[in-house]
Amino acid sequence: MSVMASAPSLLAQIAFWVLAAGTLGFALLTITRKSAVAALMALVGSFCAVAGLYATLSAHFLAVLQVLVYAGAIMVLFIFAVMIMSRDETQPVALRGLFLRAAGVLAAGYLFYRVAWIVALEREAEVLSRSTVYPIPGFGTVASVGRLLFHDFLFPFEAVSILLLVAVVGGVLLARPFRPGGGAS
Amino acid sequence: MPGYAYILVSLALFFIGTAGVLLRRNALFVLMSLELQLAAGSLALLAFSRGLGDEKGHVVAFFVMALAAAEAAVGLAIVVSVYRTRKKIDLDGVNELRN
Repeated sequence: MSVMASAPSLLAQIAFWVLAAGTLGFALLTITRKSAVAALMALVGSFCAVAGLYATLSAHFLAVLQVLVYAGAIMVLFIFAVMIMSRDETQPVALRGLFLRAAGVLAAGYLFYRVAWIVALEREAEVLSRSTVYPIPGFGTVASVGRLLFHDFLFPFEAVSILLLVAVVGGVLLARPFRPGGGAS
Repeated sequence: MPGYAYILVSLALFFIGTAGVLLRRNALFVLMSLELQLAAGSLALLAFSRGLGDEKGHVVAFFVMALAAAEAAVGLAIVVSVYRTRKKIDLDGVNELRN
């Protein structure tokens, strides 16, 4: 069975387009909503659609982690922050300095247009044209990714745990009420 | 689907995140847009990982996820402490380091 085999099946195409549209649509909703809660719910939708895209790339372990970590843990964190600071914006986009920011967005848009152009030009390259419908046996499962994590990437894995510990301590330190005089209590 | 379709989706998602970071004033929305950008990066990593048939991209995407969790924790703590001292979280007013 060739990896470069024929056009993807109709079902795979439908799944890809629905998930891609969901990802981008919910992302657009996220950055345009006035209410923080509505934006958060759109963000959850976007992350779930991204997890579906991971699954179509046969990255099953990462898809489950995406739902657990992003749509679960990080969202809970954001919801707590919204509950602490619950006020909607009256003016979502600043008028002061808007010209400069709009120029920045235009420049970024032009950059992404050029990169997309390069990707479209190089779409016949093997790494970009390989179809994702035919699974490689054992690719992206918990067993194989876990084996890689605990053999080749054991040191970075442990370093990430230290990073998370530092982030938790830093978060507690920063979010603690400020006391003049510097008392820890 | 071919890999380049995923790369194009990832590019578009990253651009939406960039627009959110540049245009929104509220620090919460800026952090959400940053999360979108990180997810776009992970998507590109996984697409190339699939195209090359190499699982190392999955490990890097895993690290990106851990990094995003750490970034959200510290970023939201900073936003909460800014809110506590200034009573608002618009980023264009935050330009001083004194307390």
